[in-house]
Amino acid sequence: MLIFSVFKTLTDQQVTVELKNDLSITGVLKSVDQFLNIRLDNIKVLDEARHPHMMAVKNCFIRGSVVRYVQLPAEHVDTQLLEDATRREALTQVKR
Amino acid sequence: MEDDNSPPPPPEQQPPPPPSHTGSPTDFLKGVVGKRVIVRLTSGVDYRGILSCLDGYMNIALEQTEEHVNGVVTNRYGDAFIRGNNVLYISADEPL
Amino acid sequence: MDPSSSGIQEPFDLIRLSLSERVFVKLRGDRQLTGILHAYDGHMNLILSDVEETIMIVEVDDENATAGPKTVNVAKRKMDMLFVRGDGVILVSPPSRT
Repeated sequence: MLIFSVFKTLTDQQVTVELKNDLSITGVLKSVDQFLNIRLDNIKVLDEARHPHMMAVKNCFIRGSVVRYVQLPAEHVDTQLLEDATRREALTQVKR
Repeated sequence: MEDDNSPPPPPEQQPPPPPSHTGSPTDFLKGVVGKRVIVRLTSGVDYRGILSCLDGYMNIALEQTEEHVNGVVTNRYGDAFIRGNNVLYISADEPL
Repeated sequence: MDPSSSGIQEPFDLIRLSLSERVFVKLRGDRQLTGILHAYDGHMNLILSDVEETIMIVEVDDENATAGPKTVNVAKRKMDMLFVRGDGVILVSPPSRT
């Protein structure tokens, strides 16, 4: 839930999503859901020569489970806030 | 096996409870905390260390950990968190 | 920071005590990261900053090569702020406080 919130605060920012098949897509984060599925606009594939079939694609929906990394704009991430929120969430999940 | 001609045991003579050294998996896990263990991952990599604790997902915290690949020490960690889905088995590396 | 590192009750305590510290992360696909940990959740989704990724490209071309992986090539890259999906995580190690 915490990470979902982080992504929500980053909507309309530029991110780079790296998929498990090594495809990297840069675009504007338009929306995200609780599964961390991601919708990107104005996309650009990093290595277009290797993925020519992606050249005409302008936006996409990425299933969360195929994501390896998302590179985030560091200037829009409050790391102190993140750490505090993470500690708070950890407290609520201690008992199992 | 060899007693298929003998009458079935009367109901008050249930088979004896299993010897105490074959406890449930949970008993094993409780007994092994704080002991030296070998954790084998599905990838075949072994981690040898002292089991600090584990949870219901088999997430594992190890201390003084050595990573063994093909019998060769490839890394050492003071502490290590192992994500449970990678675990094939936990084996006691000292008498319980 | 925390002198009693053995005062850990569940595995996630190890990760919680590593917040704002540099951690080592071993991932599937012969990848590893080091970075400063800022957030995690129960899936081991992570957010790290100042990340260096190392990709081991191992080749098994030599038939005579027996034990020991032959690391033919190592690729490195740096990233400012990175979300790591938890399902790829194998191991997280905090900075050694021994």
